[in-house]
Amino acid sequence: MNKIYFLLLSGIWLSLLFQSCLDPKLDIPEQSIGLAPIYFEGDWRDIGAEPARPIKELFKIYYKDSIIFAGEALQGIHVIDNTDPFYPEPIKFIRIPGNSDIAIKGNTLYANNLSSLVAIDISDLNDIRVASRVENAFPGQGAPLPDGYIGFFECPDPNMGAIIGWSEKLLKRPQCWR
Amino acid sequence: MIRNTLFLLLLTALWSCAESDSEAASISDSGSGVGGSLARFTIVGDYLFTVDNNNLHSFDISQASDIRPQESIFVGQGVETIFPLNGFLFLGTQNGMLIYQIRPGGVPEFVSSYQHVISCDPVVANNQYAYVTLRASGCRQAVAGAADLLEIIDISNLNNPQIVASYDMDSPFGLGLDGQTLFLCEGAGGLKVFDVADPQNIRLLHHLTNLNAIDVIPLGGLLLAIGPDRIVQLDYSDLSNIRVVSEISIGV
Repeated sequence: MNKIYFLLLSGIWLSLLFQSCLDPKLDIPEQSIGLAPIYFEGDWRDIGAEPARPIKELFKIYYKDSIIFAGEALQGIHVIDNTDPFYPEPIKFIRIPGNSDIAIKGNTLYANNLSSLVAIDISDLNDIRVASRVENAFPGQGAPLPDGYIGFFECPDPNMGAIIGWSEKLLKRPQCWR
Repeated sequence: MIRNTLFLLLLTALWSCAESDSEAASISDSGSGVGGSLARFTIVGDYLFTVDNNNLHSFDISQASDIRPQESIFVGQGVETIFPLNGFLFLGTQNGMLIYQIRPGGVPEFVSSYQHVISCDPVVANNQYAYVTLRASGCRQAVAGAADLLEIIDISNLNNPQIVASYDMDSPFGLGLDGQTLFLCEGAGGLKVFDVADPQNIRLLHHLTNLNAIDVIPLGGLLLAIGPDRIVQLDYSDLSNIRVVSEISIGV
């Protein structure tokens, strides 16, 4: 009788063990969309135009008037002149810390700058200006993770400095999730 | 012969330089641009609509110097994308597609939803159909039973969206629609081009496997495709002969 009881218990224990091993959510995808920490020192509200630079990590694009606006994950926007699609020509980089999304109306670019929404006048790409800003338009961006977020995220690297928020990004083999 | 070709190439290069100088990039002071299907910002008239993880926000942007926050509506967990059409907003969420109507003052009002198992999914739409991709592969949130699918949903009655057809995919990310042509990104699995004239029987026209595509913007004959390693522009004005126009490398 004791033996049967022992076998039964072992069986339950083994099935529990295997169930946790086989949890399908432990599959790590090659690429996925998730959140990445924004490390920043200095004034994250500082937005400005810089010379064109190579794209390191792309996430989203936007198109208006033969110009490609290519988002560098969490950094800002590459402005690429696509008047001739055979020869797209990078012309500027607009620095917007913590940016993941933009939309443009007329010559005003609306972007998230960490938790703020900013309107940026881009009528003169050599002299861009923040026309207005809504503080805390996107609350819940703070560390450790945005409220209610479930999904993959880039594991924080303590050597990178303080995390000021999180933003959406295309992740390669993300090792952290919630 | 080679010398002539080189000369022609040089001439073409010079000509295109001259052209880009005379038509230097300038941004028109009217109209809005266009984003990809993974966008979380969209502009309709004088209003900017954005989604974050849980909420749909609207802002009055009739004056750029004075953005006025309008509404913030809790729409549920796992809101991922926003797509505007004819005064309506289509939200791709982890539970399904939500439809909102834009009321006067930029106030979004819930109309209906189409629910599916939890997965990751953007949406694009025309007057009759919405095209939703469901990605379980690499979607942390996906529950058991989630699959990688393209779903076509009849939205001719926006109050009652009905599924019409469902097709197996590999690992679908963003998608783009131009008339009867649907471009579907399969991530590392490439880019698929479908003729969706008959939703019950869509036809795969091309499967471009040599690019890692995450999202697309169709621009009436020119397709912008983006992935983690490059931006590719494709000429699809002749669907039987889709050609690469140019590429911009990333991360080199």
